[in-house]
Amino acid sequence: MPQVLVPTVCPYCGAGCQFFISVEKERATGIEYMPEHPASEGSLCSKGNAALEILYHPDRLHHPLKRKGDGWARISWNDALELTARGLGGALKRFGPECVGFLSSSKCTNEENYLIEKMARCLGSRNIDNCARLCHSPSVVGLNRTLGAAGMTNPISDIANSKCIFIIGSNLAENHAVLSRWIHRARDSGAVVIVADPRMTHTAWMADIFLQLKPGTDVALLCGMAHVIVKEGLVDSEYIGKWTRGYERLVESVLDYTPEKVSEITGIPAGDIVRAARAYAISPASSILYSMGITQHSTGTDNVQAIANLALICGQLGRQGTGVMPLRGQNNVQGACDMGALAEFYPGYRRADDPETAKFFSCAWGVDLPVGRGLTATEMVDAAARGKIRAMYIVGEDPANSDPSSSYTRDALEGLDFLVVQDIFMTATAQMADLVLPASAWAEKEGSYTSTERRVQWSCKAIEPPGEARSDLEIVCALANSLGLEFNYPDAASVLSEINQLVPQYGGIVRERLNGAGLVWPCPNPDHPGTPILHTQGFKLQDGRAAIVPVQYRPAAEEASWEYPFILTTGRVAVHHNAGSMTRRSPSLIEREPELFVEINTQDAVKLRIADGDEVRVTSPRGGTTARARLTGRVKRGVVFMPFHFPGTNMLTTEATDPEAKIPEFKVSACKISRRD
Amino acid sequence: MIKVDVSKCLGCFSCTNVCPNQNITREETPETRSIHWKRCKEECDLCVEFCPAKALTLVPFDQAGEEPTITFDLVACKICKARYATEPMLKRIESSLPEKLQKDSTGLDWIWICPVCRRNIEAERATKQMVLGRTRKSP
Amino acid sequence: MPVYVDISRCIGCRSCEVACKRVHGGKGHVNVHMAGDHASVPIFCHHCEEATCTMACYTGALYKDAERTAFDVEKCTGCGLCQLACPFGVVWSDKIAHKCDLCAGRENPACLVSCPANALSTDFELASRRARARAAMAVARGR
Repeated sequence: MPQVLVPTVCPYCGAGCQFFISVEKERATGIEYMPEHPASEGSLCSKGNAALEILYHPDRLHHPLKRKGDGWARISWNDALELTARGLGGALKRFGPECVGFLSSSKCTNEENYLIEKMARCLGSRNIDNCARLCHSPSVVGLNRTLGAAGMTNPISDIANSKCIFIIGSNLAENHAVLSRWIHRARDSGAVVIVADPRMTHTAWMADIFLQLKPGTDVALLCGMAHVIVKEGLVDSEYIGKWTRGYERLVESVLDYTPEKVSEITGIPAGDIVRAARAYAISPASSILYSMGITQHSTGTDNVQAIANLALICGQLGRQGTGVMPLRGQNNVQGACDMGALAEFYPGYRRADDPETAKFFSCAWGVDLPVGRGLTATEMVDAAARGKIRAMYIVGEDPANSDPSSSYTRDALEGLDFLVVQDIFMTATAQMADLVLPASAWAEKEGSYTSTERRVQWSCKAIEPPGEARSDLEIVCALANSLGLEFNYPDAASVLSEINQLVPQYGGIVRERLNGAGLVWPCPNPDHPGTPILHTQGFKLQDGRAAIVPVQYRPAAEEASWEYPFILTTGRVAVHHNAGSMTRRSPSLIEREPELFVEINTQDAVKLRIADGDEVRVTSPRGGTTARARLTGRVKRGVVFMPFHFPGTNMLTTEATDPEAKIPEFKVSACKISRRD
Repeated sequence: MIKVDVSKCLGCFSCTNVCPNQNITREETPETRSIHWKRCKEECDLCVEFCPAKALTLVPFDQAGEEPTITFDLVACKICKARYATEPMLKRIESSLPEKLQKDSTGLDWIWICPVCRRNIEAERATKQMVLGRTRKSP
Repeated sequence: MPVYVDISRCIGCRSCEVACKRVHGGKGHVNVHMAGDHASVPIFCHHCEEATCTMACYTGALYKDAERTAFDVEKCTGCGLCQLACPFGVVWSDKIAHKCDLCAGRENPACLVSCPANALSTDFELASRRARARAAMAVARGR
């Protein structure tokens, strides 16, 4: 039997690596690397290498399930769709569309995300969102406002052309591993690497200057750097004059952020702040790479805007080797946002509160759409807790583990009248559902995914889904139709055709052009080659200028106190991915990081009489959990770190959110630690 | 039937692996390893052929013959004290290697250290210079 | 000619471990060790010129060929002597031995292709050049 190699896009992070799945006798038997891939050059991180381990896992959902007492009863698809239609349709009728919430999945294809948000809005609900809310919503808000577009401004491979790479709030060595090769290449030709992180990570290993700041003080650091750059005349006046608005107000706003003052706030030596600022400004091509350490704060939007400001005043945009690079976590969170599965945006980032948007889509979709934004993912949980949201339809998302303050979130979801969860595994969220619908994994369906460098790639179907599982596209269409809509989409390509008509950035991203390395948006028409580097000719904002938005440092919402003396910051490890529903079920990965741990500074641990490997209890105002202690010098005294791949970490995190982007402040919570005995 | 020369048996796994009929078994505790040869009528001589120490011979089947068992104390690693090998096996390694290869470049008697520690030592050696250089603060 | 590691490029992602295990039916030959707080290095078979594992092997299952210390599984009895004969602890034996075979049958070793940081190479010249450049830099900067 011949072996077939099927190209697919990796289901894990946003780097968008591709690999071949070798299929023999309709089974996925192995992985072959793809050396021609422009971002990965064939390499794969540990998660990508282990990707096949989830496909045939015994926990895979095979059949639609209906809650029966404390357990489940298997039902047919017809029954499942009827019940879902009745439950959601009933809630829509009885309580109104404002009382129903939809969560789309950043692991689903662009086509599926488009259909889910279209379905929600055609049914009259504005409450559609996806997990970008928990990770890069400040980037979506902040970068759209300052630069006119939210996505990595330069390609991943272009990092090799940078002469000063400033990595802040990102542990890309572990979480976007393939970017490391480009950074190393840049270093080979003399680039300087600056890393800012409260924790000495593997990414910090690459640093020439390491800024170990206190969690939640990024705005202070960035304003401090801007202060130095302005004071020493290192700004790019020509660029500022030609391409930006608002510089004078920035100068005023950073006057007080002297290196000494910033050093007090952040804990970074003043000299290091000055050196980092100078290096970034003087280098002929500098780029800023950032991720959750910047966004997951109650000041997340400010953090992002501060980054954009730095790039703008130094003219480090629109050229090779420059850029502002949000590193997006999920394989298709960029696409989910592009497709408008967001409370405040329609496909293509048209604002939901703009009457023109409502008119445009009402015309395109043949329904009357309301004007105004809906509830975000975090607000939906709140609303559910208060009884304002009565029913939810959740696809490929596990809020019971990924939202902060797990007890609160779980109570809120338990209280819903009707909850439908569509997923590949029985996650903690699915456990609370009334109906569970079995869906396909990435290898079992086809569609397009958009990576963090705005690269849209087509992933092909390699094998059939197990049991009665179906692709999310099929399920959503069937559901929409049983709710009275007319979703006639025979395949993913037909949905993409519709997307081509309605999303200007995707205008030329047609199916026939998507083989191989895909296309980078904006790609407005079928002859357009795509746009690897953004902002080469100015910005898509009024009068073509970027907006410099001054920001002021505000401390994080929660501070260490006498009762809770440690600051807990959360993050990831190389072998796991997000809430862990896939990686914790992969033998090669779970054996390498089997359990929840807490990194404690060795001196702090000694004072608490905690030894390496002890079981400890970590408690915050929201709740507590048990973890394995790891004594280390990676975190400074007073700071502890826990990975969020295991249920338990989010029992502790705060519900405080960024006022605009509504992202929870996962990165700063107060906690206390004690020995389990 | 199998006859064992106790003075030659290394306590390795060859015979237990090659026997096609599971007549030779082994048991390990944290501190010991035992090998047990059951009475066998088999006409094959795989265990004899593949014993590295030529410790086994075949004798005519005897219902009343003994079923030998040998128990070895596992040697403790000089560094982590984990018990990892039988002494005869380690001595056999010593005698298979020229003397210059029995110590590493720092003079360490690596044969008497367990494989886990050997890997750790190699890792430390490989990274020491680099890690030291990085952790010294720059002026 | 083993796989060389550029330690300054290793990011501790353990992709080499998982890739090796995957292409060898669940038995991998690489272990990544953490050094200090944030450095890491994978330990590979050195394919020693004077390979002690081949000296301890009495069946000829382990032998030297032109580029590598090779393993012929047909001849292995699983005695376990090779595991004890490797000074670096990178030969394993559990009913049968296994060790790095430089992915015979593949164009390039899987670990090398898979490494996201491009830290692995079989090119001695390249590895040597990089190591010496680093050493020169360290000396010049007084570290």
